[in-house]
Amino acid sequence: MRLPRTLMLVWSALAAAACSSNPRPQAATPAVDSAAIRARADSIAALARADSVARARADSVARARASADSLARALEAARADSVRAQVLRDSAETAPPASAGLDPAREAVLAQPVYFAFDRFDLSPETQRLLDQKLEILRAFPRLMILIEGHCDERGSDEYNIALGNRRAAAVKRYLVEHGIAEDRIEIVSYGEERPAVAESNEEAWARNRRAEFRITRGVA
Amino acid sequence: MGQWDGGTVGQWTVIRVVAVAVTAVCAVGVARAQDTAQDRGVRIGITYAPGTRPALVVVPSARPLLDSVATIVARDLDHSDRFEMVRAPAALVDTADLRLTAALGAQFVVQVRLAGSGPELVLRDGRSGDVLLRRSIGTTDADLLRWSAHAAADEVVRTVTGQAGVASTSLLFVRNGRLWRVEADGHGLRRVPSAGFPSLSPAWSRDGRRIAYTAFVRSGMPIVIQDLVTGAREVVPTTERGLNITPAWSPDGRRLAFAHGTEAGTDIYVHEVGGGVQRLTVGRFSDNLSPTWSPDGSRIAFISTRARTPQLYVMNSDGTDQEVLARFDFGATGATSAPEWSPDGQAVAFHREVNGEPQIFVFDFGTRALRQLTGSGRNEDPTWAPDGRHIAFVSSRGGARNIWVVDLETGRLRQLTTGGGARLPAWSPRLTRN
Repeated sequence: MRLPRTLMLVWSALAAAACSSNPRPQAATPAVDSAAIRARADSIAALARADSVARARADSVARARASADSLARALEAARADSVRAQVLRDSAETAPPASAGLDPAREAVLAQPVYFAFDRFDLSPETQRLLDQKLEILRAFPRLMILIEGHCDERGSDEYNIALGNRRAAAVKRYLVEHGIAEDRIEIVSYGEERPAVAESNEEAWARNRRAEFRITRGVA
Repeated sequence: MGQWDGGTVGQWTVIRVVAVAVTAVCAVGVARAQDTAQDRGVRIGITYAPGTRPALVVVPSARPLLDSVATIVARDLDHSDRFEMVRAPAALVDTADLRLTAALGAQFVVQVRLAGSGPELVLRDGRSGDVLLRRSIGTTDADLLRWSAHAAADEVVRTVTGQAGVASTSLLFVRNGRLWRVEADGHGLRRVPSAGFPSLSPAWSRDGRRIAYTAFVRSGMPIVIQDLVTGAREVVPTTERGLNITPAWSPDGRRLAFAHGTEAGTDIYVHEVGGGVQRLTVGRFSDNLSPTWSPDGSRIAFISTRARTPQLYVMNSDGTDQEVLARFDFGATGATSAPEWSPDGQAVAFHREVNGEPQIFVFDFGTRALRQLTGSGRNEDPTWAPDGRHIAFVSSRGGARNIWVVDLETGRLRQLTTGGGARLPAWSPRLTRN
């Protein structure tokens, strides 16, 4: 795509130069003409230079992207390996909390869970307000990466709740991504009803268990 | 506690579930029968015509080893729900005296006695004394002893009824995020070392050698296939990413269906063991999960949220011809989950919310009608025994969540596990060894 655009620019510059000399081909003095042509040539050269810089930049972006892709592929492969390795072990593990490097106030804002209605995964105005606060932090610290965990109350089937928790985490992620956070900074996971915040069976407990939680997976530094 | 909830049956068309004509009459009669607790089980209202089950007596023994085998066999035969178990009088110890057994009205007599190489089980006709079955019992270790006794009991059932019993089976279930197994009589409870925490949704391969389950590990939720003999584990290809739940083996053991979730939703895939993965559902705005195979492998029933509330659907095993299976009233019928196709192919059991609590239902293909099996407390996650007439499920009756077993033909109910916290049971095929 880059090369044709360069050619277009050169061609249109030449065409412009040709056109501008067209109205008075006979009357034009050589000196004026040569000055005009030189000016055009300079501007074409400038354009070409600018474009070659752009092209070089684009090339380097493409290279960076390709290497990012291959890096992502390598990371993905490593992650798959790690999943397979973890399956070979019996023991349970919980993720060690990443050192966030955030001040406690911001960390608390980021960690604040958001809640859902029964069997729903849409975001209430209150949830959106809480997410907007997190957006500010995520924008201010572009290295931060997070994991969103979707959770459910104990009602509904165990297995359906895993799908529902996934919907909740995905809905939260979508909101953040739609508001400008890069997709690859946010992972999601669902725990269904496996990890209740409150291990009781009443309306209040259920309301607190229908939630999305936020964990920092890469700190600010 | 222990109530067999027949009270809501009336609001549904009560239908025959398994292919025994007599039950059609029986099921209608199930109505809030009172329980009579016996041993670990719970007797409920008699729903079979008295006398249709043959009377059987198990001869006790004065030798502890023989008596423990006789006790296991007697319990297994009782749990088969195929016999009127006759209580043996003291005079019957170590003797199969025909006059005594005839006086007891026993049509069949089971005795465990010492043969040349060790204990053996002998089944006799209670009137003629003819030996109908002779089977040796292995005793090299306690596990083998128990398992030989279960297998012998299953052979007694086969000899009398033509269909083997299900004593030589185990159930897998989840407790506190770990996998456990327990023999069908409630004994032999033990952990199955598994990957991840929690481990969920265990599923048996049809040969009983392998299981599949979801493992929550630090960086994923893969489906794990685990060999029960060697303990070897592998991750199903493509399940290193996203959520991967509700595995189900095809009857031929060559394919594994499961649900794979991404940010766009959850869909059912089939993994060809040793091969690729094929996607069966495309529900951009819905979740599709909990596949269960028909016994001939041609169809898959599953749960979908395509009509918002999770309901029961069915499709061909290549993903074509998807349709509603159990009729539901849009917006009125409760969430439906956890389907399992019966071993005879005639029915699908599942649970469905009724007044906010899950209850066990059976959908019958012959009549396309629903039968509600439970009506009080939370009753969920049904799983069929290989005989197609017993269903185990999780029930909160009695407070804690335990596994209970119901016999669809007699309506008899017994509690399998104690201690609470049991979830997601999966009944094994018949096994040669625990």
